Amino acid sequence: MKVFTVDLSLCNGCYCCQIACKDEHVTNDWTPYAKPQPDTGQFWIGLTEEVRGHVPHVKVTYTPLMCNHCDDAPCIEDCKVDAIYKRDDGIVIIDPVKCTGCKICADTCPHNSIFFNEQLNIAQKCTGCTHLLDNDPEWTVPRCVDQCPTEALRFGEEEDFKDFISEAEIINPEAGTKARVYYKSLPKKFVAGTLYDPAAKEVIIGATCTMKDDESGAIFTEATNNFGDFWFKELEDDRTYTLTLEKDSASKTIAGIMTDIDRGLGDIPMEM
Amino acid sequence: MKPIKTKDKTVLRALGLGGYFGGGAEGMVDVKDGKIVRIRPMQYGWKYKKEDIRQWKMERNGKTIEPTWKSLPGPFSLAYKKRVYSPNRIQFPMKRVDWDPNGERNTQNRGKSKYVRVSWDEAADLIAGEIRRVHKEYGYNAILMQGDGHGECKTINTPHGHPGVLLEYLGGFTLQVRNPDSWEGWYWGAKHVWGQGAQGIMYPAANIVKDTIENADMVLFWGCDPETTPWGFVGQFASRLSYYFTEVGIKQVYVCPDCNYGAAIHADKWIPVLPNTDAALQLAIIYMWITEGTYDKEYVKTHTVGMDKVADYVLGKEDDIPKTPEWASEKCGVPPWTIKALAREFAEKTTSIAHYFGGGFIRGPFAHEPARLECILLGMQGLGGPGVHQHQFTYFGLPRAEGLGGTFFWNPEIEERIALPVLSAVSAWQQQVIPKTLIQNAILSDEPITFRGTGAQNALVHDQFVEYTFPIPKEEKGSKIHMIWTDSPCRITCWNYGHETQLAMQSSQVECIVAQHPWLENDCLYADIILPANTYMEVDDIVTNIRQGTMQPNIMITEKAIEPIGESKSDAECVLEVAKKFEGMEEQMTEGKTTEDLQKLIWGYMGGEKLVTWEQLKEKSYWIYPTAPDWEEDPPGFREFYNDPEGKPLNTPTGKLEFYSEALAKAYPDDKERGPIPKWIEKSHNHDERLSSHRAKMFPLLIMSNHGRWRVHAQCDDITWTRETPTMKVTGPDGYKYEPCWLHPSEAEKRGIKAGDIVKVFNERGIVLAGAYITERVRPGVAYVDHGARHDPIKTGEIERGGAINVITPGAVTSDNCVGQIGGGYLVEVQRVSGEEMDKWRTDFPEAFARKYDAAAGLRFDAWIVDGGDK
Repeated sequence: MKVFTVDLSLCNGCYCCQIACKDEHVTNDWTPYAKPQPDTGQFWIGLTEEVRGHVPHVKVTYTPLMCNHCDDAPCIEDCKVDAIYKRDDGIVIIDPVKCTGCKICADTCPHNSIFFNEQLNIAQKCTGCTHLLDNDPEWTVPRCVDQCPTEALRFGEEEDFKDFISEAEIINPEAGTKARVYYKSLPKKFVAGTLYDPAAKEVIIGATCTMKDDESGAIFTEATNNFGDFWFKELEDDRTYTLTLEKDSASKTIAGIMTDIDRGLGDIPMEM
Repeated sequence: MKPIKTKDKTVLRALGLGGYFGGGAEGMVDVKDGKIVRIRPMQYGWKYKKEDIRQWKMERNGKTIEPTWKSLPGPFSLAYKKRVYSPNRIQFPMKRVDWDPNGERNTQNRGKSKYVRVSWDEAADLIAGEIRRVHKEYGYNAILMQGDGHGECKTINTPHGHPGVLLEYLGGFTLQVRNPDSWEGWYWGAKHVWGQGAQGIMYPAANIVKDTIENADMVLFWGCDPETTPWGFVGQFASRLSYYFTEVGIKQVYVCPDCNYGAAIHADKWIPVLPNTDAALQLAIIYMWITEGTYDKEYVKTHTVGMDKVADYVLGKEDDIPKTPEWASEKCGVPPWTIKALAREFAEKTTSIAHYFGGGFIRGPFAHEPARLECILLGMQGLGGPGVHQHQFTYFGLPRAEGLGGTFFWNPEIEERIALPVLSAVSAWQQQVIPKTLIQNAILSDEPITFRGTGAQNALVHDQFVEYTFPIPKEEKGSKIHMIWTDSPCRITCWNYGHETQLAMQSSQVECIVAQHPWLENDCLYADIILPANTYMEVDDIVTNIRQGTMQPNIMITEKAIEPIGESKSDAECVLEVAKKFEGMEEQMTEGKTTEDLQKLIWGYMGGEKLVTWEQLKEKSYWIYPTAPDWEEDPPGFREFYNDPEGKPLNTPTGKLEFYSEALAKAYPDDKERGPIPKWIEKSHNHDERLSSHRAKMFPLLIMSNHGRWRVHAQCDDITWTRETPTMKVTGPDGYKYEPCWLHPSEAEKRGIKAGDIVKVFNERGIVLAGAYITERVRPGVAYVDHGARHDPIKTGEIERGGAINVITPGAVTSDNCVGQIGGGYLVEVQRVSGEEMDKWRTDFPEAFARKYDAAAGLRFDAWIVDGGDK
């Protein structure tokens, strides 16, 4: 059984997966695997991007999203004409000839991975490029995986990815659909800042920075680096933290830091 | 299930868009039923076994990096099918409807009036007739040939310069000399510190990647985006190298106004500097090193000249202004504590600096000053020593291949006949020349223009001390310009003050403009006759992918993928059609050689027969160069000079790093913009573009402009699939896809601008419409718009809808004695465009808003065809 794996720590946001998918499926008719994808607006694999933090503590995280080829796929269950099926290799296919265009699968897919083609009156989604895997000996992986310049996106037999899967998450676990797309390095919230001494106009190096989760009492510690920077990168969503900064006899406390979003606190003065 | 056919055949391409004979970002193109079915990375192992090809490997901390066994093309390369089949392709030869060579030429209507279809024969007759008439009336130098710049990777059919071959054979022509538009500061500045280099970039640069991996603790990406600019040349190996730096603990510090695409994922530290203020930051670093004694004094004593003069200036002995971090902070917007921290890290850690063209660093007013200061910074830390280099990151510096002659810049081995087209892009080889930055001045000015140095890419340092005049004397056949033949032109959107370019192209003095290009875009709209060129998919050719920054050099025969679109012909064939109208010219142009003859010749020039037979190359379609067995012995960068400055001098007058240039001091004693030592230049009679200027009251933002992530300069603005990404275009409320203008939320709020609003970016030189993209990825005080968007005039010379930001760049060159261009670091204001203002433009310029527009791809070819373009 096949799986897709995505390591977000290696995704450079080039969008080539999204584009290779379009290159394969727009204007090309691969019936019985898929009819052509519309030129724009559908993303059988689509990259989302999130700009995080505040100047000058900013990161961008890119996340490719695609059909999860679920083992408990609601689309298969819900399809009234049995147009959607799971192959022996785990890939879920919408038969473009059998599909009657009722849209139920597109409306109910918990992962928003099914698109509706108004012109052809059919539902469409990722096919795992099975038309290539089945018919062309040159191909062992789908287009999106073949082009990935950093190997952030991979595809293969589940057992060959055992180690990856043991450390991975799925993107929408509450749906409970037994997804076959596994993610590593899904972002946690960060809080960062630059600590400086306003009198000396110098960054403060080696200050102890302590983040305390107001609710759970959990404590994270970091030290400021040679740029006076601290980065807490592994914080939980939607918590309130109290940050304490200490160096020698000086200290400073910033309370009420919410992790509803990633936060760059900018340049923080601390009288020494 | 019945088997299905996935392709009929596979052909090879270099999917980069650098051109100049050189390839990169290779790919495989699958064709089915006469159409391109897919474009994918090249599997180097398609017809070779990996174990038969010697490859390199580099190592640090037990972790290795090596070339991937397939190419790593960027998104526009993989989406190039959309470019080939673009609704903007020119389908047939055309003539401007109100241009009559025997009557009214209506040159004032260029850029406004539409086109009618003519036959190839008619078009060739018209062009040949005009050439004959202009030669007779004014002499051959009255024809300006603009045939330079980047483009598709082809050799026989290279997209630029073929008209120059015919015009040369007909007597000669005036050559537009392309300035090093992405390397300005290096060319006009760094050359005077460390010698010729590669257009001023540090060169030789052999093995600096290996040496940096093994020895550097930190790399400063200074105005460099390794996740953008390499894509059009060698693909995405720079991305892998950056991830590898992280893996082995080499710190990556980004100094740039924007959190660029590299910084957004790789930066250990982002230092947002105001555009074109890097010189202040650099001077403060030198100040710190001098006052704290943290530079390599021994090296400076033995390897450099002029440190005393630099120190006097930096410490304020010359002008009573010590260049302290506090002083610099006011100019560059970086807090003094961060400047000090950077200076100490730079001194403490073994540090290299990386660039890859463009960015906010090297294209501003007085760009030679930050360039020279960078040479001084590196010199003060022992340039050429272990881990101390300047990188053109993955453009140079990877291991040498076996059997490969030149990897310098393009292929110097290719000999004259085939080299002639590209010669026009790199060399000032005609008698009468005009720097590309001065084209509009040359057309619009009644007085002769003078300049020091042509700006030709292959010109030696010496050329910067030679004075040229246009036109040359009448007795030497000098003439003003009365006709232009331009190929794949994009001056309006990629060079200086494009609004003025538009007005110059409407001049009645220029009686005929001929353009050839696959797409109806940019300067083509100002032509009187347009020839439809085709793309690399439609021709047979041969391409060498051998630049020293390519991870796996190779050479490939690029078999035609599809038949030409419409009536298009290759760039070489377009010119041949005109050559046929002149006795004997077709024969002189072709020398009776077939495409295969030429492919073989080029293979021969490469010394290919020594490596593999022509038959084997033909059979496999490509050849992979193995890494040279002794590649690790090539001294990295300036290592020989580092070890032995007397025995292995640089090619500067003193043989040393010239922090102070006696040559500049002598030749230009009154030059206040580029003096003998680099300085902070607040303003000059050429440029008044600082936040301290009175102009900043009206135009309080500094513009940052890079080579676009989704384009290569002007190429690929019409690809529907990249236009869907959030940073390629912003869809306005009117459905038009505008070029994004990045603004920090604080700047947007001050102006009542919301995400997705149509905004105008403007200064005295005009208005450019854009779509607001509000983001923490750019610092306050900055408006960020990439150059190269497709020109779409609302009012010629004044209002631009397509987002071609370079229409409002300063007209003046880099500085008095440097004919470089300004591509960023100038003042603008940004405002929301009100409904009333837009309505007024719609009323005043109805034809501009009536052009046929494809919501996904943008402007269409038929928007400019009589009876074809009205909605």
